[in-house]
Amino acid sequence: MINFDNAATTYPKPLSVRRAVDDAIRKYGGNAGRGGHSLAMRTSEALYSARETVADFFGAVPENVVFTMNCTYALNMAIQGIMCDGGHIIISSMEHNSVARPVTALAMKKNVTLSVAEVFPEDNLTIESFRRLIRSDTRAVVCTLAGNVTGQILPYREIAGICRENNICFIADGAQLCGIREVKLSDGINILCTAGHKGLYGITGTGLLVTDGKYPIKPVIQGGTGSNSMSLLQPDILPDSLESGTPNVIGAMSVKAGIEFIRKTGMQKIEQHENLLCRHFISLLEKNRDFVVYREPAAEYVPIVSFNIKDIPSERTAAYLAEKGFGLRAGFHCSALAHASLGTKDGTVRFAPSVFNSISETDRLFAELRQHRTITV
Amino acid sequence: MMICIAEMPSYTYAVKGKKLLSSKNIRCSIIRNEKTSSGSCGYMLNIDENCEKALSLLDKSGISYKKITDGGAL
Repeated sequence: MINFDNAATTYPKPLSVRRAVDDAIRKYGGNAGRGGHSLAMRTSEALYSARETVADFFGAVPENVVFTMNCTYALNMAIQGIMCDGGHIIISSMEHNSVARPVTALAMKKNVTLSVAEVFPEDNLTIESFRRLIRSDTRAVVCTLAGNVTGQILPYREIAGICRENNICFIADGAQLCGIREVKLSDGINILCTAGHKGLYGITGTGLLVTDGKYPIKPVIQGGTGSNSMSLLQPDILPDSLESGTPNVIGAMSVKAGIEFIRKTGMQKIEQHENLLCRHFISLLEKNRDFVVYREPAAEYVPIVSFNIKDIPSERTAAYLAEKGFGLRAGFHCSALAHASLGTKDGTVRFAPSVFNSISETDRLFAELRQHRTITV
Repeated sequence: MMICIAEMPSYTYAVKGKKLLSSKNIRCSIIRNEKTSSGSCGYMLNIDENCEKALSLLDKSGISYKKITDGGAL
């Protein structure tokens, strides 16, 4: 199987990540932050070291790094934790359902109102569409840093600037950008939510919420934290307030190893390699009028290419490719808003390479696509 | 040399405090005691030397604690 579905989760994982997972299972089998015996203490120290690595990577302090199950959980915690007292919230028209569904659920309650800012290929138009929607009761803006359907990078630093000017909490979904480009809280992000298992090369079941602490996040889940055990109230200090229950130490150690892999390889090199594959793939598609590529000249993209073969539903193309040993995701990619904006009634096929893919694999994929076109139409 | 034990609000802050003090060459270790006051996690910093300076460094770094034991002069 040749995997070009790395926007969903990266596979394969680096050898160093696989080793870190094995190491964690053998050495860090205690419960972090609970108990004073050597196994618990060793496990606690390991978890803290993972917190430090993440904090350093995103320009935060270790206690403001919260390990979550995935990016969706992090986004739900941030959105619900900031909007619990109601108010106005703005999201972009490129948001994944991990943002669109929780804000829609909140908007169905009477005390939260929702606006959707249209995203354009031109950054200045996108920035203006956010600015126009700001109101006196706007409490949060939630914006993907790069869309998961086309990979378009949004002008998030400028949108963050608007939030800062208006004292609005800026929540960023970094699932498609983190690990590809440097993302720091100093970009103006108050709460960064991201996956640990995509561009950061950790294992599935890992996500991160990283905050600058400016906007307190009310916990939506309460429980044991290892701290203040005789109180029936949830602690109000981070990360405990948002980390109820036994943490995924093995997952956290995989994220740590993933970040170290990125640093060792070089983030710029990773992006350059994946972009090279995307440009190569696009050049092949564009030689043939049978293919539609969902990219705009004015926009900037992460290494994702959404495309279709004319007159063939995306799911049919992906099913054919799966039979031939290629993993690509078709359909709507859990992104109702983005596909509605694109007008893609049958969805798209998404090409998302990782650092482990090659030009020759891309050539073989294209050969299969041409064959599919020939035998289907 | 004064020693003391500082009760920490969570394990995360205990490690953060230990790293801070170690970076300033102040010897300390994390110990566990279940019989701690309300608001603690049971993890404490056992500061082996220069207690006054150590607590001042924790204060300056915004690391909250409760000083529960003044160990006196060694």
